[in-house]
Amino acid sequence: MEVLWLVILGLVAGAVGATLGVGGGLFIVPALVVFFSLDQHVAQGTSLAVILPTAVIGTVGHARRGRVKWSMALPIAGGGLLGALLGSRLALALSGDTLRMLFAVLLTILAIRMFARSLRPPPSKTPSDI
Amino acid sequence: MKAVMLGVVAGFVGGLFGVGGGIIVVPALVLFFHIAQYEASATSVAVIVASSAAALASFAGDGAVDWNAAALIFIGAGSGAALGTRYMQSIPERFLTRTIAVVMIVAAIRLAT
Repeated sequence: MEVLWLVILGLVAGAVGATLGVGGGLFIVPALVVFFSLDQHVAQGTSLAVILPTAVIGTVGHARRGRVKWSMALPIAGGGLLGALLGSRLALALSGDTLRMLFAVLLTILAIRMFARSLRPPPSKTPSDI
Repeated sequence: MKAVMLGVVAGFVGGLFGVGGGIIVVPALVLFFHIAQYEASATSVAVIVASSAAALASFAGDGAVDWNAAALIFIGAGSGAALGTRYMQSIPERFLTRTIAVVMIVAAIRLAT
């Protein structure tokens, strides 16, 4: 049964991520903790294990269509490597409880941002008359 | 270089929380580097390859990865992305965004308690 639910989790995370561009990891981590009783650290590590191959496939697709600005991607990725090493080491040093609270704060901030953005009037699709 | 700094910040957040980091990279590319949205998204995904790989290595080194769960979720995510792109266009974006925001708040509360 759990096998099926994990696949469904992926389906939902993939669908939302692809449609809204909101990262799948933001859903995978809490879902794993709340519904699958994973440790916060393991949930995050597992999420990364999903994100990496997804990103590889996505990059190949985007690169083929010439959408990637490599002149920017490479330096940012370089910084990203360093930042990720620092961030992950910090995460692993923190207690599961602390990390979980921090994640809850992150979710709240992003949710508020998303809601605020949705309050802005959408750009008009038709030109206003004269 | 500003680009490298952006990477460090985004990678740090990604590594700290086990997420992609795109939430930082994409808006920054559009707002500060004046890159088109679709290019920013694509470039961000390329960056995420590097940062998620580095973060994953750390977590894996600590044994904090459930590989079986990851594989199953990944299988779902592939179809999810394809289905999502095809069928979710018809749902009004504002409704989706707000629903997701509410879900995130609920998740935050569940995590915090």
